[in-house]
Amino acid sequence: MKFLYRLRNFPFWSWLWFIIGALYFILPLLATFEFSLSWDPAIPWKAYQRAFEDNDFWETFIYSNVLAVATIFFSVLLVVPTAYWIRLRLPQARRIVEFITLMPFVVPAIILVFGLIRIYSSPFTIPFTDIQLMQPLTNFKMGTNILIVAGYTVLAMPYMYRSVDTGMRTVDIATLTEAAQSLGASWYVIITKIILPNIRSALLSGALLTFAIVVGEVTLASFLGVDAFGPYLFLLGQHRAYEPAALSFVSFLLTWFAMGMIQMVTGGQGQAQGAH
Amino acid sequence: MAYLSISKVTKQFGDTVVVDNFNLDIEKGEFVSFLGPSGCGKTTTLRMVAGFELPTSGQIFLDGVDITDKSPNQRNVGMIFQSYALFPNMTVEQNIGFGLTVRKLEKDVIKQRVDEMVRLIHLEKHAHKYPYQLSGGQQQRVSLARALANRPQVLLLDEPLSALDAKIRVSLRSEIRAIQKSLGITAIFVTHDQEEALSISDRIVVMNVGEMEQVGTPFEIYNFPKTRFVANFVGSLNTAEAQVLDPANGLLTMDGIQLQTHEGIIGKKKGDKVTFAIRPERFSFVAEGKKENLLEGTVINITFLGSVVRIQMQIGNSTFNMDTFNRPSLELPKIGEKCQVTCSTKAVLILEG
Amino acid sequence: MAQTAITPQGKIYPPTNWKTWLGVAPFFIFAILFLFLPSLRLFTASFTDPEGNFTLNNIIQLFSEKYIVDAYKLSIQISAVTALGGGILGFLLAYSVTVGGLPKSLRSILITFSGVASNFAGVPLAFAFVATIGRQGFMTHILRDYFGMDIYEAGFNLYSFAGLSLVYMYFQFPLMVLIMAPALDGLKKEWREAAENLGASTAQYWLKVAMPVLLPSILGAMILLFGNAFGAYATAYALTGGRIGVVTIQIGAQIRGDVLYNPGLGYAMAIGMVVIMAISLAGYSWLQAKTERWLK
Repeated sequence: MKFLYRLRNFPFWSWLWFIIGALYFILPLLATFEFSLSWDPAIPWKAYQRAFEDNDFWETFIYSNVLAVATIFFSVLLVVPTAYWIRLRLPQARRIVEFITLMPFVVPAIILVFGLIRIYSSPFTIPFTDIQLMQPLTNFKMGTNILIVAGYTVLAMPYMYRSVDTGMRTVDIATLTEAAQSLGASWYVIITKIILPNIRSALLSGALLTFAIVVGEVTLASFLGVDAFGPYLFLLGQHRAYEPAALSFVSFLLTWFAMGMIQMVTGGQGQAQGAH
Repeated sequence: MAYLSISKVTKQFGDTVVVDNFNLDIEKGEFVSFLGPSGCGKTTTLRMVAGFELPTSGQIFLDGVDITDKSPNQRNVGMIFQSYALFPNMTVEQNIGFGLTVRKLEKDVIKQRVDEMVRLIHLEKHAHKYPYQLSGGQQQRVSLARALANRPQVLLLDEPLSALDAKIRVSLRSEIRAIQKSLGITAIFVTHDQEEALSISDRIVVMNVGEMEQVGTPFEIYNFPKTRFVANFVGSLNTAEAQVLDPANGLLTMDGIQLQTHEGIIGKKKGDKVTFAIRPERFSFVAEGKKENLLEGTVINITFLGSVVRIQMQIGNSTFNMDTFNRPSLELPKIGEKCQVTCSTKAVLILEG
Repeated sequence: MAQTAITPQGKIYPPTNWKTWLGVAPFFIFAILFLFLPSLRLFTASFTDPEGNFTLNNIIQLFSEKYIVDAYKLSIQISAVTALGGGILGFLLAYSVTVGGLPKSLRSILITFSGVASNFAGVPLAFAFVATIGRQGFMTHILRDYFGMDIYEAGFNLYSFAGLSLVYMYFQFPLMVLIMAPALDGLKKEWREAAENLGASTAQYWLKVAMPVLLPSILGAMILLFGNAFGAYATAYALTGGRIGVVTIQIGAQIRGDVLYNPGLGYAMAIGMVVIMAISLAGYSWLQAKTERWLK
C-alpha cells in the first residue's frame, strides 16, 4: 500500500516536460559538437586547430573582450551610483529610472544602432552656428569605440540595473549606510568597505551577463563596422563549414561558464534574460 | 470510543522521530490545545489529522471511522493556517464559498451559507473585498469562516494568531472560542504561547521533542506541572534540585536549606535526588511567626513588569524569581542586600522528571 | 522650499531640492545622449525624404506597401507563435522543477541552462540548428535512419517560418523558465493545502486557484517573449541571410541594403516597431502591477 502511494506520487508529467526541455537544450549543442569533430576523422580536433590558428580570430575575440570589459566598467560606473543614490536619497526617481532601464527593450539593437549612426555621423557643432567642435564619432576609430561601448551599455542596462538594485535591496543598503555614518565612517570608507563588498555578487552577476551579451554581439558591431568577434563568426560562416561550428561550441561553453559563475556567486538568485 | 481518537501515532522523517507514540481521545465539542516549543511535533500531529502527512504507524479515527489513509479532500476537517492561506484571486465571499462550490452545492444554498458565515465573523461591509485589502485579523476571520462554511467535523487551528498584533491576538482568540462554543464544534488548537493555550482551552496537551509531557485542564497544567519541562514552559516556574531528607514527612534539603512539602514524597527514600518547583508569585517576604520554608538569599536583580515586580535572588546555589504585586507602598530591597522570603508548604511541588 | 512628494502608494518622501537630483544627472545625460536623442532622430528622420524635406510618404508606405505590411505580419506571427510555444514549454518546465516534484538539484541545473540558452543567440545559435536539423543535420539523419522520418521530404525546411520559429524557441522557452520559476515559487503551499482541505481535487485547485493567480504573470511573460522575438535580428539574419523578411531584416535592408535602399522608410519601420514594442511593454507593466497587488 505504501508502494502504491509512492507510485501515485511519482511526478511522471514533470519528468516528461523536463526531458523534452533537456533534449531541446542539448541536441543542438551535441549536433554542433559532433559536426565540429567530423571534418577529418583522423584528426578530430582539426576544426578547433584551424579556428585557433587564425590570427583574425584572436584579434576579433580579444577586441570583443576588451569591449566587454570597457562596457562592464562603464555600466558599473553609471549604474551603481545612480541605483545607490535612488535607494538613499531619491526614491522619487525610482519609477522614471526603472522605466528608462526598460527602454532598451522597446528600442532593440537594430533600431538603436541606426539612431546612433544617424546622430553621431554628423559633426558636433555649437548650436545655431557652423563652428565645428569635433568631427563625427563614426569617422575615427576611438569615436566608434566610444559609440559601441555606449550602445552596449544601453543594451546591458536592464540587466545591470536590475541586478545591482536587487543586490542593494537585499542588504538594505540605505540602513547600512546610515549605520556606517552614525559610527563616523567617511564616504570613502562607506563606499569601499560597506557598499561594494555587500553588492559584490550582484555586481559580478551583472558583469557576467553583460559579458555574455557583448562578446558575441553582431548587430551593433556589424552596422558600426567594427571588427568584433560576432561579425567575424558571421563572415566565417559564409564560406567555411567546420571552424564556425567549433567556435559556436566554444562560445556556448563561454556563455555557460559565465552563467555558471552567476549561479555560483548568487546562489541561484541570478536572473538572466534574453538579449538579441 | 471518543469522537476523535488519535491512537499510537508515530511519525518519522527519515531517521528523525517527530511524533512518538501519540495517544489522545477528544470528545465532541471539546477544545484541545497542543502546546510546545517549535519542533515539538504539535504541528505535525495536526497535519496528520488533516491528512497532509501520513503517520508512519498508528491510526486516527473520526466519529468511529478510520481516516488514517484518507486524502485531505475526502476528510471533513477544517483547517486554519498561520499565514491565513486565503486565495488572493477571490473576494471574501468567494473564499468562504470555495469549499461549497467545489462540492457543487446549489447556488442559493451556497449564497445562504456564505451570508450566514459573513455575519458570523462581522465582515458584512467587506464581503466584496479581496484579501489584500483586509487587515491580518480580518483575513484570519475570513479563513475561519471559510473553514466553518463546510460544516467540518473537526476544526484544526495551526498557530492561527501568531502572525497578528498583540491586541488583535487577544480579541480574536476570545472570538474564536465564542464561535467554537456556540457551534459546539470540536477543535484542536496548536500554539507555542502558554497564555493563549491556558485562556482558550478545555484541555491542554503539552508536547516536547515528539512526546506528550502532560495532558490536563489549564488549571491542572498551571498549578500542578508534573515534569520539569512543563514547569519551565508554562508560567516560568523556579526549578531546582534537592535531596530527600524525610520522605514520609515531605522534608527536603537544598544546599543545607530545609524545605517542607505539603504531602509526603511517594516512591523516594532518604538521600534520593528530586527536582522541585516553586511558582514565582508563591513567594512572599517573611511575616512574623513563620517557622517552615524560611529561605535567605541575596538580591541579584529587580525588574518592573508593569503590575508585577520580579525580584531575582540567589538562594543556596540556585537562582529564584519572586513576583510581587507592584503597589505604591511597596518597599523593595536593594540589589546586593540579603533578605528572607518564604512560601507555603503547598507551593513546593515535586516533579517527576 | 520644502515639498513633500506623495506617490500613488501614499508613501511620503522627505523634501528634496535640485541638488539631490544632481546625483542621478549622469545617468539621465547618458540616457538622453545614447537612447532618447537617437530614437528622437529616427522619429524625425522617418518624416524626411531623401532631400531632407518633410514628408508623410514613409508613414503612408508603412500601411500601403504590401511587402512592408507582410514583414510586420510575419514578425508578429513568428513572435506570437514562439511566445506561445516557448511560453507553454517554458511554463511546463518551470512547473516541473518548482511545484512539480522533481529533485531540487535539477532546478539549479535547469536555471543555469536557461540562463545560458536565453543568451545564446545570433550566429552560434543559427549554426547549432543547421548542424541539428539542417539538410545534413544530426537529428535529420537520426530521424531518417532510425525512425524512417524524412523531415525534408515531408516539407520541412529550416529556412522557413517553421524552421525560424524552432530556432527562436531555443531562446524563448528558457526566458519563460527564468520568469516563471519565481512566479511559481510565489504559489504558497498553504493555498494548495487549504484547497484540498476544503474538498478540492488537484484539477479544481489548478483551475480555480493556481491558474487565476498565475495568469497575469504568464501573460506578462509571454508579452516579454513576444518582444524578445520581435526585436531579434542577428539570429534571423545569420540563419536565413535575409531570405525571411521579418521587420528587423527589412529595416536593415532599407537603411543599409544594396537592393532596397530608402532610409526614411527604414526609419519609419523602426518607429513602427518601437510603437508595437511600447504597447507590449505597457501591457507587461500593467499585468506586473496587477500581480504584485495580489501577491503582496
